[in-house]
Amino acid sequence: MSHEYIPEIAIDREGNEHEVQGWQDDFYGGKLGFWLFMLTEVMMFGAMFLALAYYNTLHPEDYFNASASLNRVLGGINTVILLVSALTMGLGLLKMRTGDVKGAKLMIWATIILATAFLIIKGFEWKAEYNHGVFLLHDKLLVGPGTLPFGQKLFFGMYFTMTGLHGLHIIIGIGLMIWLLKRINAGKVSTEHHILHWNIALYWDIVHLIWVFVFPYYYMIGAAGGTGGH
Amino acid sequence: MDTNTVNYKTERASYYKVLVGLLLLTAVTFVQPHFFMTHSTFLAQMLIAVVKAWLILMYYMHLKGEKLIGAMVIFSLFLVSFFFIITIGIDVPNFQYAAESYITAPAAH
Repeated sequence: MSHEYIPEIAIDREGNEHEVQGWQDDFYGGKLGFWLFMLTEVMMFGAMFLALAYYNTLHPEDYFNASASLNRVLGGINTVILLVSALTMGLGLLKMRTGDVKGAKLMIWATIILATAFLIIKGFEWKAEYNHGVFLLHDKLLVGPGTLPFGQKLFFGMYFTMTGLHGLHIIIGIGLMIWLLKRINAGKVSTEHHILHWNIALYWDIVHLIWVFVFPYYYMIGAAGGTGGH
Repeated sequence: MDTNTVNYKTERASYYKVLVGLLLLTAVTFVQPHFFMTHSTFLAQMLIAVVKAWLILMYYMHLKGEKLIGAMVIFSLFLVSFFFIITIGIDVPNFQYAAESYITAPAAH
């Protein structure tokens, strides 16, 4: 679909022509709108953290033990990966703003590779948990003898829901970055018109920001209780 | 924030400085449960996370100098905090149905 910009012309009483401000140049409006969307993300994850904190307050010991059993090495590696990916995304945007389009594309590709690495590591982590019977609708999270204590079931229920939703955001982010690359190649995103790049970089930062709270809450609150790792 | 005037070297240096800060804070996240505030791990971890979030918001998300968007972010954080205080600070300590609630005692069902 083409988005060729055709300026609208307004003529004043003296017959002078003026170009009407098009939305393509409304950088601040585009940014403001995207921030509003991101605040809905904050509300959504905020509500999830609220549920997590609620159950945590009711079952502190179970939460501590469940957290102690998570693999902090893999979680930590993923934390660093996301941290570096936020840098590559930011540098990519900076390169785009300064006219280095090729460098910007390289940085977006680097971010995509790091995001994929995050998902692969997360996949290994979930697989290990699955093999130990700890997974949604799996043995140890069901009701009955031989299952985990109730508070741990709540912990893991929230863990798979929130890390799963976060993973979905990563997948969407990869899709957005591929779309961004296509738009850059088509000349639709450039140094002069880079709001799409700016907003996708913001999206990636919010994905990183959510992980900044997800990681310590799930992996670190029980760190003093064991070496971790299923 | 004026996005048209870009000082590449200054902004790139800022990105790397923030990266170093975030990496150091991540290292602190790992050692904290064993070295300091060991009886308040949750509080310590959340404090570190808040500092990391502040760095990301201000420098990676370019909120520094953004008055309107900054106010929007503060408002949304206030809303989330408001519900946290009501739920965790008031509701949970006065929870009256521990013996019969499904979220506290599934055996009762």
